[in-house]
Amino acid sequence: MPEVKSYYVIDPEGKLTCRKCGVGLVKANAVFGYLDNAFPVELPVCPKCGFVYVPEELAVGKVLSVEKVLEDK
Amino acid sequence: MDFTERSTRVYKTKQLYSKEELAARESLCVHEQPAFCTAACPLRIDARQLAGLCAAGDFTAARAAMERAVPFAQILAAGCEAPCTDACRLAEAGAESVSIPALERAAMRHGQPRTGRGLLKFKKKKTAVVFGAELFTLVVAAELAGKSYPTTFCVAENSASELIARCAPFLDTESAAEQAEVLEKLDLKVEYGRELTAALVEAERAKYDLACVSLAVYSALGGGNTDPVTLYDEKLDVLARPNGDESVIGAFYNARRAGVSADRLAQGMPPDSARGDEGPVASRLYTDLSVVSPTVRVPERGVYTREEAQIEAGRCIQCECTECIKGCAWLQHYGKFPRIMTREIYNNVGIIMGDHMMNGAINSCALCGQCSVTCPNGYDMAEICLSARRNMVETGKMSLAVHEFALRDQLFSNGEAFLCRAGPGSEKCRYVFFPGCQAAAVSPDAVWQAYMDLRARLEGGVGILLGCCGVISDWAGREELFSDTQAQLSAALSALGHPKIITACPTCTRTLAQLGDCVGIWDVLLDIGLPDCAPEAVGPVVLHDACGARGDAHTQDAVRKLAGQLGCAIRETEYSGDRAPCCGYGGLAGYAGPEVAAGMTAAALENTSGLQLTYCMGCRDRYARAGAESRHILELVYGVPAGAPPGISEKRRNRLELRRRLLRDIWGEDEMNKPLNFKLDITGEARALMEERMILESDVIQVMSSYNDSGEAVLENDTGLLVARLRIGNVTFWVKFTENGGTYTVHRVYSHRMTIETR
Repeated sequence: MPEVKSYYVIDPEGKLTCRKCGVGLVKANAVFGYLDNAFPVELPVCPKCGFVYVPEELAVGKVLSVEKVLEDK
Repeated sequence: MDFTERSTRVYKTKQLYSKEELAARESLCVHEQPAFCTAACPLRIDARQLAGLCAAGDFTAARAAMERAVPFAQILAAGCEAPCTDACRLAEAGAESVSIPALERAAMRHGQPRTGRGLLKFKKKKTAVVFGAELFTLVVAAELAGKSYPTTFCVAENSASELIARCAPFLDTESAAEQAEVLEKLDLKVEYGRELTAALVEAERAKYDLACVSLAVYSALGGGNTDPVTLYDEKLDVLARPNGDESVIGAFYNARRAGVSADRLAQGMPPDSARGDEGPVASRLYTDLSVVSPTVRVPERGVYTREEAQIEAGRCIQCECTECIKGCAWLQHYGKFPRIMTREIYNNVGIIMGDHMMNGAINSCALCGQCSVTCPNGYDMAEICLSARRNMVETGKMSLAVHEFALRDQLFSNGEAFLCRAGPGSEKCRYVFFPGCQAAAVSPDAVWQAYMDLRARLEGGVGILLGCCGVISDWAGREELFSDTQAQLSAALSALGHPKIITACPTCTRTLAQLGDCVGIWDVLLDIGLPDCAPEAVGPVVLHDACGARGDAHTQDAVRKLAGQLGCAIRETEYSGDRAPCCGYGGLAGYAGPEVAAGMTAAALENTSGLQLTYCMGCRDRYARAGAESRHILELVYGVPAGAPPGISEKRRNRLELRRRLLRDIWGEDEMNKPLNFKLDITGEARALMEERMILESDVIQVMSSYNDSGEAVLENDTGLLVARLRIGNVTFWVKFTENGGTYTVHRVYSHRMTIETR
């Protein structure tokens, strides 16, 4: 299987805990999607319930700028 | 309304206009028309640029411009009859026209000659010969040499200075010597002392491909039938000027035309083909003469000194049409004139794949139509931007993100906050009050008071219709939602028995005009008189006309009358009445281009102080937001100033509260809000973020309700904050909060439109 490039990687480094499951979030594969475009990333994810955490600086930073670029496509 | 996100992988376009429709629009913009002086010059010398350079003291550049335009620029400067001066518009404004030839002379005197040899030119294969000395042939010889034809100039004179004296006897000694030097430096073979008999000319002529003759030689050859446009005598196969015009500018113009004919002949084409526009033209340029002061010409004693030339050139008003851009912050922001904007928008719409660079411009126009009034030809950018928006929606190129908040706000106004009632106990009414969505959102008390007053003083019953007129969807180019909204309102009006609609917003009046008989509340108040509570001496106000009232002199006048009755001493803005700009609310500009819209607000408030009086709640809100003291006229009439501008959530709450209050106090129906099973505390920091990031309190409540039910959140170990999220429609909202018993304290909020999934 070809290796999929990750556009963005965040390691939770044990700083995040899933409130519901009570376990630490781990770095795992996720995909951002917008207007039929997909961006593989690695984000903090709960290993039990699959809650994907998007930090504020990512949401209002890179995610927002990519959204704006795609909106003008 | 379909709120599904579009796909960037749908490749569909639709032409915005046909070529003819595009050309018809573009031709209205006269900004790029030549200045009147330039248009009058057969050589199209850019006198406006020349004056500009002289005024700036750059005589070298001015001289270079002259020398680029014609050979022997000094001869032209000395002898030109100057049709440009006659065309100068200053004369119409009571000033003396600019003496352009005097500026040309000054440029030639004070400017440094060009240095360097210029580009290496390869000689053409066709050869040319010019016979006989006169100004026309002298310039033709230089033109042909300049066009790289190996050229021979046969003259009876014996030297360059003799030749110059013969061709330009009006030159002073110094200039004549300089021009003789110029002649000698030309890449031109001059054969002096030739006896130009008909036999010799004919014999020599045969050796060359192209020939031009002076009038004397032409007569000797028996010619007399040169073409007035191409200057070509087909029978004799020579170029010659027609008899009659002895002017200096005429000689230069004829020489230029002969040069064009020579090119055509050299290429084996008929000399009259593809010549384009030649000679003087009528310029369609518009220039504002209202600010011209009646200046007089600097007298020319000899040649102007640098200072004299600068003063004279400084009188030039640099004719150009900037009528639209002067009043429009949107055009100023993009720094382009309507013709260019139109072409770029047209091209933008045609892009199938790739970046649409003009989307921002298309969506940040206020669609206010000011340009259609300020432009002397009525250029209407609003029509162009709106057509482009509709086109983009139709072809799936319009980003939902730009307008979704506003569209959902319209749906909110016509959904949760919608109210349509005749009076209590009746189903029909003679009038219905339609205050508009922004009036209810920004100043619900004024709406309440106005409705109470209308109910008390108008006979036949006054119903209430709370909602949005639909202009938001119209501005967004969403024709489907707009027609749905019109249908909803039409059905509501029909249920009320088609009452007369009393509006409090000129934009609503315009939008609702298709659905029924509308009258502005200002007209009603003028008719029935002001209520007892109305003030009588408001004092000085700056009146801002609403862009929705453009072309509606009746409303503009009615508001002034009403303000007069309130004791307002009205000060008009620079752009008032039909020329009024938009406050930045129109066309949803504030959503697509907040910085452009801020520029519009600032421009509308420029040079104003004190109380800003409006009759559109959008204007009232934006001016207040920009720090001005602003009032909608209804706030004045009923003495209920709305205070500080409400935030986006408060605007929604105000509409709901107004609806609830009307139902409770008039119809005796109390709708209880479903209580939340938690307490919510939003910090000031979070509130500011919500405003900036367009996140509503209702969104935060939904996220917290979801958390309350599911317990799904992430704990940030180092800050102790919990982070919950919920996807609502096309947006994922995130709330950072702390939990204390049953109370959630919201610290930060953010959102994104991208979806996120694990893989």
